[in-house]
Amino acid sequence: MRKTNINWLKKKREGLFCVPGNFFIDPVFPVEKALITHAHTDHARPNNKSIFSSKETIELMHLRYGESYCSDFQIARFDEKIKINDVTVQIHPAGHILGSVQFLINYKGYRLLISGDYKRTKDKTCLSYEPVKCDTFITEATFGLPIFNHPNDQNEVKKLIKSIKANVNKTHLIGVYALGKCQRLITLLRNLGYDETIYLHGALTKISNFYSKNNIILGNISNISECSKSEYANKLVLCPPSSLNDKWSQKFKNVVKGYASGWMRIRQRVKQKNIELPLILSDHADWDEILKTVNDVNPNEVLVTHGREEALVHYLTKKNFKSSALNLIGFEDENE
Amino acid sequence: MNDFAELLNDLILSPSRNKKIDLLKNFFCKSNLKDKGWAFCILTNRMDRKFVSVKELKELIIENSDEDLFRFSYDYVGDLAETISLLWQSNNEKNTNINLHEFMEIFSNFDHKNKLKTKLKYFLDRSSENQRFTIIKILTGGLRVGVSNGLIKEALKLSGVREKSEIEEFWHGFKLPCTDLFEWLDGKKLPKYINRKKLFNSFMLANNYNSNEFKSFKTDDYIAEFKWDGIRAQIIFSEDGKIFSRNGEDITNSFCDINTFIKGYFVVDGEIVVKKNNKVLSFNHLQKRIGRKNPSKKLIEDYPIHFIAYDILFYTSVDCRALSLIERKKYLNRFINICKFSNISTSSLIKFSSWDQLQNIKETSLNNHIEGVIIKKKTSLYKKGRVVDGWYKWKRNPFSVDFIIMYAQRGHGKRSSFYSDFTFGCWVDEQFTKLVPVGKAYSGYTNDELKSLDRWVRNNTVERFGPVRSLKPGLVVEISFDNINYSSRHKSGVALRFPRFTRIRWDKPISQVCSLKYIKDLIN
Ligand SMILES: [Zn+2]
Repeated sequence: MRKTNINWLKKKREGLFCVPGNFFIDPVFPVEKALITHAHTDHARPNNKSIFSSKETIELMHLRYGESYCSDFQIARFDEKIKINDVTVQIHPAGHILGSVQFLINYKGYRLLISGDYKRTKDKTCLSYEPVKCDTFITEATFGLPIFNHPNDQNEVKKLIKSIKANVNKTHLIGVYALGKCQRLITLLRNLGYDETIYLHGALTKISNFYSKNNIILGNISNISECSKSEYANKLVLCPPSSLNDKWSQKFKNVVKGYASGWMRIRQRVKQKNIELPLILSDHADWDEILKTVNDVNPNEVLVTHGREEALVHYLTKKNFKSSALNLIGFEDENE
Repeated sequence: MNDFAELLNDLILSPSRNKKIDLLKNFFCKSNLKDKGWAFCILTNRMDRKFVSVKELKELIIENSDEDLFRFSYDYVGDLAETISLLWQSNNEKNTNINLHEFMEIFSNFDHKNKLKTKLKYFLDRSSENQRFTIIKILTGGLRVGVSNGLIKEALKLSGVREKSEIEEFWHGFKLPCTDLFEWLDGKKLPKYINRKKLFNSFMLANNYNSNEFKSFKTDDYIAEFKWDGIRAQIIFSEDGKIFSRNGEDITNSFCDINTFIKGYFVVDGEIVVKKNNKVLSFNHLQKRIGRKNPSKKLIEDYPIHFIAYDILFYTSVDCRALSLIERKKYLNRFINICKFSNISTSSLIKFSSWDQLQNIKETSLNNHIEGVIIKKKTSLYKKGRVVDGWYKWKRNPFSVDFIIMYAQRGHGKRSSFYSDFTFGCWVDEQFTKLVPVGKAYSGYTNDELKSLDRWVRNNTVERFGPVRSLKPGLVVEISFDNINYSSRHKSGVALRFPRFTRIRWDKPISQVCSLKYIKDLIN
């Protein structure tokens, strides 16, 4: 990190380290104490000694990793300022997925806001992003290029419903990220009046049930293995993106393949992945949302991490924000 | 414009040929005549011009956005039209909803070069992302939406009353904006301006050899010629000569070393090959010339084209198609004597007195570039398509060799979840320790065999590189191919022609597969 205001934040092999708090944020390797923004696997890893996060994130980590999720945890609440060594920490909703939070870290009156992954679009499966005034803002830049301009999510989901109606003899197989995207797509479908049973690949059921238990209404969902081959036609099946082209997907004969992701904005990507029905649906802020957020939190410095840092740093600098890239490794480009 | 933009987008995303034909057919059925005509011109790249340069487009987007942001975005997306359409700040102007033909009329008649950018900006400001993409693709030419002319011909056939062979014949005759093409498809007469003498004529095609039929044929009634491994072509020799490929595509520009200029009108049918030092070279050599418009002098010298003529359709005003083959051959010889072009010759007849003898000649012929023989009835007339009792192709028996599967790649469209494209190879030498890839095959197996192959691939993967898997050497397959030749482009030094699966030899040990020397010995 060059040029940053903060000399108490360090980049270590394990990840981003807060010196006066003696903890890491979303570390890539196991550490003594970790603050976890949300439960996606590139942010939340198993085997940390002690973790600090929202209740949902801790429970999701437990669900995914079993007993190796941590040895010790501390649940953070939105209305509490927690003192950790020489800093105080408060969580604020990030609007990314269920349980996702930002960390506001205060050291000697200097306010650092770490957003983790976030979006500004309304999403019924999680609390909306809350902008918090700060001095240094660490933002993600997954879609940090002006070509990314996520369209209205309902219109995207209408495309899916339209395709289901137009292809009654086909199975619709839609690739979704297991945590977050899957459940958001289902709630959007329900809001638009799609009330048929939605079938899930086995890898999506555990987390979806967890969402249901947290009062997110998903309607009738069922594991596809409970459906016989002769009944596949006209069914909507959700699966992890990696399953769209694997052996599992071969059992569906007459199929429309779709993929719900912000990457579907780019035709070349759609083509590469053999996707016939791209749904541009992202849980990350697009270009305009990032800029809006920077304006809302009004920092005097912006650090940009995982994604297309270059363009955003360039643009912010031009707009007279002090800005630089925070090159962290271990975050996968494709994940949402 | 919106319908056409949607059509393009759907075509890009549709995995199957049938779906694409369906999309085109629906578009041709529901659109107005003028839009259809222009859509056809755009899809077949008939304008053959750029309305706007890449430089002008870049200037426009930089004025609209920001030079650096454009550069970052373009680096990421890779496609100029897509980058600009996504990046463009439209300032919420109302969509123009302009028709495709109105748009095309504006730009094809635009002659204030300095106002072009302003005009284009006007439309980009009033379009959706998808429409912007379409506009830029149209104006820069070269759509690349995975739509071949063959596919469009199929869709035209389905949206009117004309046969595919008719469509092929008149395809090149219609003028921009081709609205009269669609009137003709609906049953109206051809426009008067169409000059039949400049157009393609449907080919007569050969039936496949059938041993039962042959028994009853008298050898005296037939002639036989070698079937060269080249490309079928029809040449119109005239003051405005043309060369057409088997499906009626104009390939004149690729083979400009054939002189088609002559006084009069002669239409000749034959095979294009590469011939050097009086020897016909393999299809690999010809491939360097196929699809290369306006080839360089060097390419022409390295791979000189030769035309082996075997039939004639028109001899000045004589329609030879109504004459017997023997009569046509006489006219053909007369033409060759008139034109005296050194790279055009007639195909020589094979002397034979029995079918057994002919079969023997076919199998033992020393030249590798002969696919087999063609047998033609002496009294047959020249008719469109495959005609009973006309021409027969009698292919040389294919080569057949056992190979080891080395790599597998996922297929496209319907086969995209299966490993269906296979690279096979044999041992480098008699040590039987190292393999070398020899060719690729992706056909010849049944659906059930494909499933078993796919399963085998997934269970025997060593490494993955994107859609490709390298495999543990363990599975032997029998591959058939029509021909084999030396090739400097391939690591093995040989190239097989049309390799396909004939058998999966689940039980055969890989140690029994041959070495490269054996394969090379197949080339005589
Ligand atoms: Zn995430």
